[in-house]
Amino acid sequence: MADIRLRNVSKRWKHAVAVDRLNLDIADQEFMVLLGPSGCGKTTTMRMIAGLEDVTDGEIWFGNRMVNRLEPKDRDISMVFQSYGLYPTMSVYENIRFPLRVRGVARELHHQQVMRAAEMVELVDFLDRRPAALSGGQRQRVALGRAIVRQPHVFLMDEPLSNLDAKLRVSTRAQIKHLQYTLKTTTIYVTHDQIEAMTLADRVVVMNKGVVQQVGTPTDIYDTPANTFVASFIGSPAMNLVHGEIAGGMFSAERIRIAGLPTAIAGPVTLGFRAEDVTLVDGAAELETEIYALELLGDSCMIAARAGGELVSVKAPKDYRALIGAAVRVAIAPRFCHLFDRATGARIAAGS
Amino acid sequence: MKEERVPVAFRRPLPLAVACNAFVILWLLVAAFPFLWTVWGSFKVEGDFFSRRSFWDAVFGIKTIVQTGHPFTLDGYRGAWVVNALWRPVINTAIVTTCVTVISLTFGTLGGYALARSGHRYALWLLIAALVFRAMPHITLVSGYLLPFFELNLWGILPTAIIVLVAINQPFTLWMLHSFFLGIPKDLDESAMIDGCSRLRAFQLVVIPVMWPGVVTTGLFSFLLAYNDFAVTSMLLSQDNQTMVPRIASFLGSIEQTGKVMYAVAAVVSATVPLFILVMFFQRQIVSGLTAGAVKG
Repeated sequence: MADIRLRNVSKRWKHAVAVDRLNLDIADQEFMVLLGPSGCGKTTTMRMIAGLEDVTDGEIWFGNRMVNRLEPKDRDISMVFQSYGLYPTMSVYENIRFPLRVRGVARELHHQQVMRAAEMVELVDFLDRRPAALSGGQRQRVALGRAIVRQPHVFLMDEPLSNLDAKLRVSTRAQIKHLQYTLKTTTIYVTHDQIEAMTLADRVVVMNKGVVQQVGTPTDIYDTPANTFVASFIGSPAMNLVHGEIAGGMFSAERIRIAGLPTAIAGPVTLGFRAEDVTLVDGAAELETEIYALELLGDSCMIAARAGGELVSVKAPKDYRALIGAAVRVAIAPRFCHLFDRATGARIAAGS
Repeated sequence: MKEERVPVAFRRPLPLAVACNAFVILWLLVAAFPFLWTVWGSFKVEGDFFSRRSFWDAVFGIKTIVQTGHPFTLDGYRGAWVVNALWRPVINTAIVTTCVTVISLTFGTLGGYALARSGHRYALWLLIAALVFRAMPHITLVSGYLLPFFELNLWGILPTAIIVLVAINQPFTLWMLHSFFLGIPKDLDESAMIDGCSRLRAFQLVVIPVMWPGVVTTGLFSFLLAYNDFAVTSMLLSQDNQTMVPRIASFLGSIEQTGKVMYAVAAVVSATVPLFILVMFFQRQIVSGLTAGAVKG
């Protein structure tokens, strides 16, 4: 019964709207990631769930309990902060034990629970240290340990990896995923990093300017983005978006013509395709252009080229070599094309 | 030589090094001399320490030997402590300073924390108003209160002096603790509240331990203000309830009676002892509190 429901939740300040009528259902044991650029309202949403911010409008339900008026301590949650929020005067052991102490858990259970949490986050050797004597990754694990020492209703994680270096981020990401799998606690995770969202989430909520853009599994939002914002936010590189006209199933823009698209649509549209869904060919092709830049990525080559006034990315095999300015022909199959309304950015139909 | 370990960039030419060290030594002498001189002189008789003939009298204690048969005498201390019962103002001072420090810190930590965490703009105006009151000479408060205190029959007792001293001291403690609290990341309170604390409990269990150097430093300044105060205590306390500083002043004021000035000198030296003990005892916290780098997550 650890599901969470947000009903028309809004957060407004005097001059700004941080979150606008948000509706969200988070299932029991689900790993939900809130994803968006900075200032999109994802952290505010999490802080409202935590009780650190009051909601202006709407209701937040934990199971069958409305928690709007509850203090954070009464919501039965635990949270990992971006800056970790460790208690500098306490040892690692005392930091992890703190929630048990203040919540009046029977004293004889403390040691066993602290040790269980410390083992899960691999901190058993550091229990006597103060946070100041730990590395960034270790501090992060203390914060995780403190969050998992109890069995709360929900884990909240506010960009927990963003202060770590790239290598550590990958290993800690795996650790978080594994912890959530083991503990089966509902988790809400806030990030601006789409790779984190894709790798961790059961479902992702993409937000922009306080409004939910799309809710879906990582596959959903990758394969069928609901609008150009989601399309341009997910994937690395993000989806190529080219403005042009469509008539009679034929999309045309500068240097690019694609036939075989749905015939029901006409007028100005934005066409989207992913760098990895296209192939380089020798003969006639949908996109005929010159190489603007070529980036070697190791496992592949990324070509940047002009099309319809935009720079598009095209993925080439890793042994592909060409000079800047060389002609390149790219086949774009209609089934890999996404069409968006030019004015609203909303998805029109998948080009199948 | 250790000197060679200093990196080239920080090495000083010899004349500059000599000049720097000489200046520091000179400064130390100038700063410490009056105090050392007073300590030395407190063991002499008035004829030596206040000799008009030569200051060497105070060094060699000629009259002291004549009067007491020994170059050092405890007459001053005996006069102050035994004859004039200095212990009574000492107890009064202890009561006043302890109460002022405890009350100021209680209001200061709670108020400073509230102001530091408040999102409202009036928090700043409150602090600025406090600063204005702090800037006023202490005597303005006293002169304003004197008549009402007489009429309400509150004059002369310790609680009155304590309240006025707290009022004078509070703006300062509020400012100082406020800035310390600003240095403590909000995440700390928030994680404590998520972990199961109420706001007050988070303050008590998490924020105050981190704040401790700041509290100690502010407490020391509050203590010193109450301890060294003359204007308030001399005007508001009756003869029986006097604290140490006004009592010392009254010793100094009665020069018509030979020897009484030496009571003042002995009392002055006695009065500085607790300060030394205090500073040494809290030295580490004071240093880290003053450098304020102590509060990092």
